[in-house]
Amino acid sequence: MSVQTQDKVQAQDKAIPKKRNYRPLRSTEKLKKTIKTYYFLTGTHRYWGKPLGRKLAWVTSGAPVELLRVFNIHPAYPEQYAAIYSTNKATAQLCQVAEAVGYSQDLCSYARSNIGGVLRPDLAPMGGMPKPDLLVACNNICGTVLKWYEALARHFNVPLLVLDTPYLTGEITEQALNYVLEQFKGMIKELEKITGRSFSEEELKKQLDLSRATTGLWKEARQYCQAQPSPLNAPDLFIHMAPIVVLRGTKKGRDYYEIFRDEVKERVSLGQGAIENERIRLVWDNIAIWPKLFNFNKMFTERGACFVTDTYSGGWAIDLAPGSPLESLAVTYTEVFLNRSPEFRAQQLIQLIRDYKAHGFVMHSNRSCKPYSLVQEVIRRKVMKETGVPGLMIEADMADPRAYAEETIRNRVQAFLETFD
Amino acid sequence: MAKVYVGVDIGSLTVKVVLINSEREILAHGTARAGYSGREVALNMVESLLTETGLKKEDVGGTVATGYGRVTFPADREVSEITCQAKGIHHLFPTAQTIIDIGGQDSKVIQLMPSGKVMDFAMNDKCAAGTGRFLEVMASALEVSLNEVGQLAAGSRHPTTISSFCTVFAESEVIGQVSAGTPKEDILAGVCEAVARRVSSLAQRISVLPDLVFTGGVARNQGVVKALERCLNQPLLIHSEPSITAALGAALLASQLH
Amino acid sequence: MLEWSVAEDGGMGLSQLLEESALKGYQRHVRYPEHKFFGLICSYFPEELIMAFGLEPLRLLPDSANRTPSELPAFSCSLARGILDRELRGEWRDLVGVGFVHTCDTMQCLSGIWECSSNARIVSIVPPVMLKAPGANRYYQEELKSAWRQLCRITQKEPSEEALREAIRLVNRIRHKVRKLDELRSKLPSPLVAAILRAGQVMPKADFERTLEEVLPQLESTGEEPAERAKILLTGAVLENDSLYAMIEELGGRVVVDDTCTGFRHYSGPQIEESANIWEELVKRYEDMPPCPCKSQSLNARINYLLDMAAKRQVEGAIYVIRKYCDPHAWDAIPIVEEFKKSGIRTLVLELEGADVGGQERTRLQALLESILENRTIESLGGEEK
Repeated sequence: MSVQTQDKVQAQDKAIPKKRNYRPLRSTEKLKKTIKTYYFLTGTHRYWGKPLGRKLAWVTSGAPVELLRVFNIHPAYPEQYAAIYSTNKATAQLCQVAEAVGYSQDLCSYARSNIGGVLRPDLAPMGGMPKPDLLVACNNICGTVLKWYEALARHFNVPLLVLDTPYLTGEITEQALNYVLEQFKGMIKELEKITGRSFSEEELKKQLDLSRATTGLWKEARQYCQAQPSPLNAPDLFIHMAPIVVLRGTKKGRDYYEIFRDEVKERVSLGQGAIENERIRLVWDNIAIWPKLFNFNKMFTERGACFVTDTYSGGWAIDLAPGSPLESLAVTYTEVFLNRSPEFRAQQLIQLIRDYKAHGFVMHSNRSCKPYSLVQEVIRRKVMKETGVPGLMIEADMADPRAYAEETIRNRVQAFLETFD
Repeated sequence: MAKVYVGVDIGSLTVKVVLINSEREILAHGTARAGYSGREVALNMVESLLTETGLKKEDVGGTVATGYGRVTFPADREVSEITCQAKGIHHLFPTAQTIIDIGGQDSKVIQLMPSGKVMDFAMNDKCAAGTGRFLEVMASALEVSLNEVGQLAAGSRHPTTISSFCTVFAESEVIGQVSAGTPKEDILAGVCEAVARRVSSLAQRISVLPDLVFTGGVARNQGVVKALERCLNQPLLIHSEPSITAALGAALLASQLH
Repeated sequence: MLEWSVAEDGGMGLSQLLEESALKGYQRHVRYPEHKFFGLICSYFPEELIMAFGLEPLRLLPDSANRTPSELPAFSCSLARGILDRELRGEWRDLVGVGFVHTCDTMQCLSGIWECSSNARIVSIVPPVMLKAPGANRYYQEELKSAWRQLCRITQKEPSEEALREAIRLVNRIRHKVRKLDELRSKLPSPLVAAILRAGQVMPKADFERTLEEVLPQLESTGEEPAERAKILLTGAVLENDSLYAMIEELGGRVVVDDTCTGFRHYSGPQIEESANIWEELVKRYEDMPPCPCKSQSLNARINYLLDMAAKRQVEGAIYVIRKYCDPHAWDAIPIVEEFKKSGIRTLVLELEGADVGGQERTRLQALLESILENRTIESLGGEEK
């Protein structure tokens, strides 16, 4: 069974005419190998899962996977697969499968394409996802994941574990923290039952240390982009963030980011930028437009505009909160940026613009992601007012190509970039 | 003894009228553009069809109105076009279990019970994609008449894929293809396929069981017929006059009124 | 005002309720100058808290125009856009404050946008989503106490626990009466019941209780159930007017189960017991009331509740109303509709822009009701359908 991973993306990349405006990373080869191995393992779980006593869980991207690793659970991420479906041009067809059984076109395209892939694995890249033994959802990123995973639970008839992290209108409250800790206690009991393993605080601490190491390296690498020219552009961040999501808390993940960090550091010392003639530095907000990753970015790179940082991949570049392992987990996962007020997020964006010396920012109004997108306008106004730099809003979807209007977007981007001339 | 029953289907674009006798045979039928007042057009058409068949108002045993403008028409009863379509199609094709109706402004799929009664239905009347309107817009962009679309599309070997789900975006896509030099037949075949895909997606919301009947104005378009048969992987039965089947159903209901 | 067949001697009480319902709080300064109002957006914000402070809860509803304030993108529901727009136009300047409850992603964002864009004083509650999770009850209690403290700050008052208990008693009485009204549904025109229930969310509570008390006896004595009407279950979120109810009635149906946020669900759930720990009792009611799609008691709690009600009231058809861009209901509709169909209940999923229904909805509703009523005829003639 062949595993396609980023191959198609790279092939597409080679198809672009010779005169490229951006510098490819050496680490990409290692990334491909690392991720390929992960997908291979995941895809063959039905052969080795039982003999090795390791359950497979479908996990939301914001779930505290460190806890699951204590129980030797192998995590698979539907959101990650959905991004792959999109770069492999399968999303529209998969969404249609889901729409045909009644899922509204207005629902999240990750969810629709994932469900399409469950109903028709023959249409999904890599043959879709392996069947889960359990489902683990944390609603820190959105409420949709809960409804989505409930639908999956009904379909697969497997246990669904939910971590309900209350939305933070301000700072985290004592009652919210206690609630999350209480839920952890319940989850641990469930996990012990499901896996037959006992919980170990020592193991959890080890996992957290590994996570800390991995996210620390990712954070460091991203911070190098404060240099001028920036050693990385947004597509690099979107592609190289894969291990942070799927291999966070593993040695493989940490090892990979050491290599990545080293290359990025080297670029800075050599004064090598991700693109030629960087003259406009921009910040990107929201999830990537996966179906148009390179074509979309080309509109910027060919005019010397580089996305030096973003709020999306930065979501994983955070320090673990202090405290006991469970407390640390509870606070870190409740405080993810998507679970915070627009005021908080505006401040975050303002800080990024200042730290990375950006000339402007671009916000992707992503139809599929309401928590991310609905507050963008008020954030945009606030950020523009406080920093004085212009912000562009474009409407599209993170995975569904049918929502991308080429001409309209090209128009807006061009007009925006002309203001920097 | 009533000699004739009248079925009137007032759509937003066209008006259809059917007269049947007490043996439930079609005596006459007519179609006209609704224009400003579908009601007026319908009233005039009923009159002229009666005259044509040598009948008078007093011979009419009952009238049923359906379609968008049904509430404005002075009939004995107004009934939804879903129920009328089911009635009409069951009469023409007693083995039908699924009806696909693509009109000028909407598309619907109706599931029938063996008795011919409506079991379930799914409708799209909020979006032009998957309706006759979509075909009209694209035909216009390609400067061909609606009647030519089917024939031209049939000549295509490599249908282009039109991916936008919005009619306005799709139109830009089509224009883009024209500038790129794609042959008209291929674009038209792609347009027909887009309609078929949309409607077959709608169809899958209910059980699609044979026999399948395709009706409504768009059923005359060979390009869409072929594309739909491919998408659903089933043969389609089509009446020689697909646009009047709802009006026929209305007339049949009129004959059962008393 | 719509006509429906209620006895002429409806009296002041009934017409007052109908007026309030249509006004949706619009003339509150004129009609209730001595009252102060506090805005609420969701039924999970305990009205009891507001009332303990001597304030009247006012459910914020959009008007019928399709509003598009620039602070929200097009792909948000008209409920959010509509109420934000009214706020920005100053229609709720007089409110002492606005209470937000975290429910769906859109409401989550709306509370933040409201805070950034208006001068309103906001009280936010973030109840647990997983109502039966470990620690959830405790957490909900703490959130309510925190809301209480915020209300103290806003009003500069500190009501006693007795004030809260008194408010709870009043709300219990109201809910008890509304439950009686809900049981009369099959005998009363759908839009009438919907209007009365909505009146209770936009007018001073004591007045509502008193008027309801006046009106119930005459409603109870109104005729019998018209056998020819199709019994309908209606489920969905907010419906700010009776347009849909009126159309269902016009086409030969009658809503006998109303599981909408602005309908019976607002008043549903157990009575609040009076024990020593009043906060725990308060939370119990909110935990146990029939859930909306944004809250979870268990994987199939909502489905089971609806099937149960459908069986109890011998429902023949179900209408699932989804406001465009409402994700939670769009998700729930799929398994719920499947279960209804399995139970032999004909079901229609109706997507609406707002609450108004027009020609397109008429076609679908009519087709649904026709198929129900036709099927009945066959059965009554002894014919075999399946």
